[in-house]
Parts: sequence; C-alpha cells; structure tokens
Amino acid sequence: MLFNSYTFIVFFVIVLILHNLPFSWKTKKINLLIASYIFYAAWNPPFILLLWLSTVVDYFVGKALYTQENKHKKKLLLVISLIGNLGMLCFFKYGGFLLENFTHLVNLLGVNYHPAKPNIILPAGISFYTFTTLCYTIDMYRKESKPVQSILDFSLFVTFFPHLVAGPIVRPPQLVPQFLTPRKANSQQMVQGLFLLSLGLFMKVFLADGMLAGPANTVFGSHTALQTTDAWMGVLAFSGQIFFDFAGYSSCAIGAALCLGFVLPQNFLFPYAAVGFTDFWRRWHITLSSWLRDYLYIPLGGNRLGKYRTYLNLMITMLLGGLWHGANWTFVVWGALHGFYLCVEKAFRDIKKRSPGKPMFVTGESHLVKASFAPSLHKAPEGSFPPESNHPKTVSNFILALGTFFLVNVTWVFFRSANFGQAWSMLHSMFVSNSGGTPVLTYLEIAKVSLIIFVLVIAHWLMRNTMVLPVANKMPWWLLGIVWSVMLVLIALSQNSGGAFIYFQF
Amino acid sequence: MQSSNFAKAGLMALFLSVIALASWEFFLRKTDLPISYDDNEALWADKRAMVYEPINQATVFIGSSRIRYDLDIPTWQNMTGDHAIQLGNDGSNPRLVLDDLAKDEKFKGKLIIDVTEGLFFGDFAPLDGHTLKEIEYFHHRTPTQRFSFEVNHVLESKFLFLDQDNYSFNAMVDHIPVPTRPTVFQMPLFPVEFDGDHFTRQAFMTPRFLQDTNLQNQVKAIWAFFGSLPHPPPPSGDKLQAIFNSVKTNVDKIRDRGGKVIFVRTPSSGPAWMGESHGFPRAEYWDKLLSFTGCKGIYFLDFPAISNFQCPEWSHLSPDQAVIYTNNLVKILQEHAEWPMGNKLSKL
Repeated sequence: MLFNSYTFIVFFVIVLILHNLPFSWKTKKINLLIASYIFYAAWNPPFILLLWLSTVVDYFVGKALYTQENKHKKKLLLVISLIGNLGMLCFFKYGGFLLENFTHLVNLLGVNYHPAKPNIILPAGISFYTFTTLCYTIDMYRKESKPVQSILDFSLFVTFFPHLVAGPIVRPPQLVPQFLTPRKANSQQMVQGLFLLSLGLFMKVFLADGMLAGPANTVFGSHTALQTTDAWMGVLAFSGQIFFDFAGYSSCAIGAALCLGFVLPQNFLFPYAAVGFTDFWRRWHITLSSWLRDYLYIPLGGNRLGKYRTYLNLMITMLLGGLWHGANWTFVVWGALHGFYLCVEKAFRDIKKRSPGKPMFVTGESHLVKASFAPSLHKAPEGSFPPESNHPKTVSNFILALGTFFLVNVTWVFFRSANFGQAWSMLHSMFVSNSGGTPVLTYLEIAKVSLIIFVLVIAHWLMRNTMVLPVANKMPWWLLGIVWSVMLVLIALSQNSGGAFIYFQF
Repeated sequence: MQSSNFAKAGLMALFLSVIALASWEFFLRKTDLPISYDDNEALWADKRAMVYEPINQATVFIGSSRIRYDLDIPTWQNMTGDHAIQLGNDGSNPRLVLDDLAKDEKFKGKLIIDVTEGLFFGDFAPLDGHTLKEIEYFHHRTPTQRFSFEVNHVLESKFLFLDQDNYSFNAMVDHIPVPTRPTVFQMPLFPVEFDGDHFTRQAFMTPRFLQDTNLQNQVKAIWAFFGSLPHPPPPSGDKLQAIFNSVKTNVDKIRDRGGKVIFVRTPSSGPAWMGESHGFPRAEYWDKLLSFTGCKGIYFLDFPAISNFQCPEWSHLSPDQAVIYTNNLVKILQEHAEWPMGNKLSKL
C-alpha cells in the first residue's frame, strides 16, 4: 500500500479509530499487526508468506542465540539466520543479476551457456525488513540487547506498517520497548504526526512526482547526446526527485507512527547542506548508514586496524551499500564513488592533522538513530543539533556545501542511469561542451527545476542545524496554518496519486 | 509554540484548504463544463477487466480516439443490449491492444477494431507509450490500486477540480504561454472544452466547443501541426506485409477461440480525410487488410447513412453526430456484416 493513495487514507482512518477505542493493549497490538499485514498484502498477497517466515525464524533463532552458551552452536545459529535472511534477499533481489554475470563470465571463457532469463518478482521492502531482522539476530548474538519476550511484539517490530516497506530501518531497542506499555498519541503528537504526513505527501506528490519526475525522465529517457544545460537540469531534477521521494516517504512513516503514539528514528537531515561526505552520510538515509556502520564497517575493523585498512573498510562498506540499492553494476559504481569521496576526505583530514570533525563511522554515535522529528519525545537543547556539527554557517562552508552537492550530483548519474553507456553519455554531455547536443527540455521545465533546486539547497542550508518540527513550532500559528494549507491544496491539485516510491524497488 | 497553537494551525490549515478548494470548485462549475473522468491506466484497466463477459452480452472496441468520440455507448447498449467495452486510446496504435487480447486465452468475445490508417499502420504512434503502460498496469494491478480506483471514481463523479488532464496544477502551469524552446518538441495543448471523458471511456466535445468556432479552429491547427511534422513514409512492401501478418495472426487467435472480429473505418472530413486518403490509399491498405485477414469491414464512405458527416474539427464526431453514427452502425453491422448482436436486438 502506498502512503499517497486513497486506499491508505481509508486504511489509516480505520487504524486510528481502532487504536483509540477502549480495547486492551494486547488487542490494540493485534489490531496493529493485522493492519500491518493488510498494508503489505495489499500490494501482493503471496509475499506475506516470506514476511511470516522471516519473522518466525528470526524470533526463535534470536532467542536461541541469546541463551546458547556453546560458542560453536551459537555461531551455527548465526550462520543459519544469515543464510536464511541474506539467502532470501539474494534469491529475490540478486538472483537474476548473479545469473547474468555468471553467464557473461562463462561465455567469455568460451562456454556456450544461455539460460532462460529468470522471471523473479522482487517483494516490496525485502531489503528493509531483511536488515531489520538481521540486526535483531546479530544483536542477540552479541548480547547487545535482550530477546523480545513475545512473538506478538517481535512480529509487530518487524512488520509495523509505517516502516515496513521503505524504512526508516529500525533497531529493536528503538521500537520494541514502545510496545511494552500502552501508547496513544496525545493531541500534540497527533497534530504533529498529521503535519509530517502532509509534509511527506507534499514532497512526494507535488514536488517529486508532479514537478521533477517529468524532466528527470525526459533527460534520462533520451537516447541522444544532450545539450549541457539539459543534461545538468535532468541530473538536478533527479537529485531533487529522489530526495523529495525518499525523505517524503520517511516523513510520512514517522508522521503515521506518531499519530499512533510511536516514535521512529530520523532518516534525513537536510543532506544537500552537507559539508563533505562524512557530513552527507550523517544526513542522508541515516538509518541505513548507521546500520552499515554498526553491522558492517565496525565488524570489518572500522578505523582500528590502521590507516590503509580504514580506507579498505570504507570502500567495502560503500560498495556493498551501493549494491544494497539495486542489482546493477551502476549502483556499485555509485557506492564506489561515495567510498572514494569519503577516503579522499579522510586523507585530507589526516594530512592536515586538524580535523575537528569525526569520520563517518565512529562507534557510539548514537545520535543518528535517536534523532527524531518529535521534539516532545527527544528534546535536544536549543540549537544543539546535530551535536557533532563543526561546520558553522559561513560563506566558505556554504561554498564547500555547494561543492559537495556538485559531487553528489555526479554520483546520481550512475544511480539513475540504466547502464554505463547512458551514464558516460550523460557525463559527457554535462562536462564537455556539446553544441551539437539535442535540447529536450522546455523553458518551462528548466524554470521549474531551477527554481525548486535553488529553493531546496537554500532551505537545506538555512535549516541544517535544526529539524522540521522545531522550526514549525517557532512559527506563528497563523503562518504555519497558511503554509500547511498551501501544501494541502497543492497535494489536492497535483492529482497524481498512486506513483510508487523510488525506494520501493530497493 | 504551545500544543494548542499547533492545533490551531492545523484547524486553520483545514479551514483554508476547504475554502480554497470549494472556491475553486465553485468557480469551475460556473464555467458550465461537465464532470470529466481521468482517462488513465486505472480506468482503462477497469474496462479491460470486463472483456471476459459472455460473447452474447458484450462487445469490445479498440482503436484510437475516433472510436471513443464516435461510438455513443448509451445508444449502442440501448439498441443491442450488448455491453460496450471501450478500450480505444487517443493517438495510439490499436495493434498493441489487439496483441494483448490475442495473447489472452480467456478472451473469446466480439471485437470491433477502429482503423485510423496513420496510427494503425504507423511505426510508432505518439501515445503508444501510454497504451503500453495501461496494458502493463492491467496485468499487474494490486488490490490497493483497485480499491483506490473505486474511491477515486466516487470523488471524480462529484468534483470537477479532480480532472487531472485539465485542472491539475501541472496542467494549469502548462497552459502558461511560455515561448517554445527552439527544436524542442512541445506537445500542443488541446482546449479544455475539446476533450471530456465519461466513466465508460466515451469521449465527448463540450457544448461550448461545438458553439465556438475559435476553439474548433485551435484543434484544426493542432491537426495541421501534426500533419506538418516530418513523417516516415507509409509502410509498403515487406514492412506492410509484416503488419498484415501480425494482424492476421492475432485475429486468427481470437477467432480460433470462438471470438468474432470486424474492422471499422470511422468518419473523418476536410483536410484530415484528404491527407489520410492520399497517404494511405484505400486499395493498398484497408482493402488488403480485409482480404488478407478474411475479416469484414465497415468503411464509412460505403454507407450513405454514415458517409456525410462534417466533423467539427475534421477528425471526430460531435455527441449528436455520434448518436446518429452509432444508430446506423448497429443497423449496418447487422444487415451487411451479419454481426451477432446482444439479446435485445435479436428479439427485435
């Protein structure tokens, strides 16, 4: 089910009503669990079996991992969990990709092997819920948190509909304790949740789908060399589209959960105001980057095994992070570019020996996953967020932020292109004067993209040290009311409900 | 801001939104434009799912925009008792839908194929992508999409401003007179009054369009613009034969399953007709299509009752003309093509 659909509106109203009726807490949790299964099954009912399988296996394996004292048996249990979760992910997401590459390889070796193309449908959200369940079993193995006592709570943790399909990727300690005691949104949470839902839908429906998807699709769907202006406008349009699409989804997820009285972790913090790539990954898809940090980068050795091993670990982490996004080498290159940027940034800091900022992955940086839109539940001292920010809003930092944004846009070329041929062609059109290139965008489209991206970058810069709800809180109520109503009217006038979120395919 | 202030902002937002949208709806209703449904993939898929109705109770129509304007569905259904299932698509090649229906083993019904030569025999009609998207959508519809469609149907039947093609934010912005960028193809914008859609997917011109020759001339200018664009030459030789082969293969599949297929050439007039008859001579295209596939066909010029329509903008019939055309088409189909009709007409 999509947040931007009439079905969701009806569904959510029913869920809210049921959640606020005087049922027992257990009944309410069962209601939420059933609602979450309906939310998922509304897309493709048979795939709910995978979700059940993953839930049941990890619940029991997790318990056994925590109580098992025999090291060998413990490792065996972990391997079973990893094979179960990653095996399912590999089959559905990477099966075709692996077969295709294997075929290329054996053909290069002279073996005439041409298997039929597998027709595998990717279950929505499999990458997200796999990571959610994986972190539980790994935590159990490390004894970093206690096992969930009831299968109802564990099922709800895995399946809770706001985060199920496209995150934020939650950890057991973030959500499971919230299921232990009765929760119901107070009036402030309810209104703020509705505000975040409105904001998320505005970003998705009006800005991503309505304003930016068209120019981005036109440019990336073009099969000829483009004029430099068109190539850049297409990349900038995609840059805005993917932010509004994914941050919009996250905002809807956090808002929907808040309306029910639950707090989900923050996933975006004005990433296009990032000064450098360390900063960027603290602001973009925060729950994924912190997951990769805790469950991949640190187990690989992090920065504890010397300078060169740190670079290697960064590259491995980002390459796999790229592959997580999709079964295509273009995603791997996208991850590699980010890894390269991070390494270069670290090298500069190491050389200058005056790096006040921390590297991207540092053990114990819990603010990333604790941060929330909800100020009432996670009050940070005024102006203190993000706490590690060492980039004051100066002109030089703004220029550095623009430079970071420029390099991020280069990576988006690989992320959006269907293949390397298209990516090279786009880069050529962007960076080589191409007077013979074809113009494909109208003046109106160029104006729309330019205006939105300009406002987006400026807004990110101005808000980089704060969050949405505190800013909304500071506004006079009548001004917030006007802004909110403009968003609602533009959502209603956009009229393009039903467009799938980009991150559903991951 | 205090909690109550945040709530006040929410109430104000709700109030202002309702006022703004109600005012907009009120303004649009003052223009006397009728309710129109979005002719999108969800509506098409809704009709596509109906093709499995028994052969003696339904007829499926495929083609381009002409069949959507020219077939008056209430007239057809009143006369024949047959349910008319409209799957025609504007600016699109009906062979795409024919291919989809032929592949569908469950489809065994009656099929009427409207032929607009430039689209039917062309390589790539301008809106083929839209048709392919609709076919894809139908085959992968999710339960939530079906439910959303039903809710949307109720809302669209009540509110004029929910007409995406004409009153969405993007549609309105697109009407801002911004100069065309040299060499960038910009799809011409049809007047709002030209294209309304019933829930049955029957298209109609609004009364204002029929009264205003200026609006009609705008559409004529659009047809002239399309005509002035460089076109590949009409297919001939092996290329044309390949088209005939593919049509015959698909038609045979449907007939082998017990289905019935007939071709219809709907009326056009003025320069549109001149251009079409010059570019696609009847003997080379229409006649050969019928002889090669072994299907019967209704060519509008062969029947006096439907041969003299003057289309308001050269290419499509007005709603009144559509009633006359459909009335006569039903009679012609029964008398000259022995086309099986629904129970109602059989009893007459």
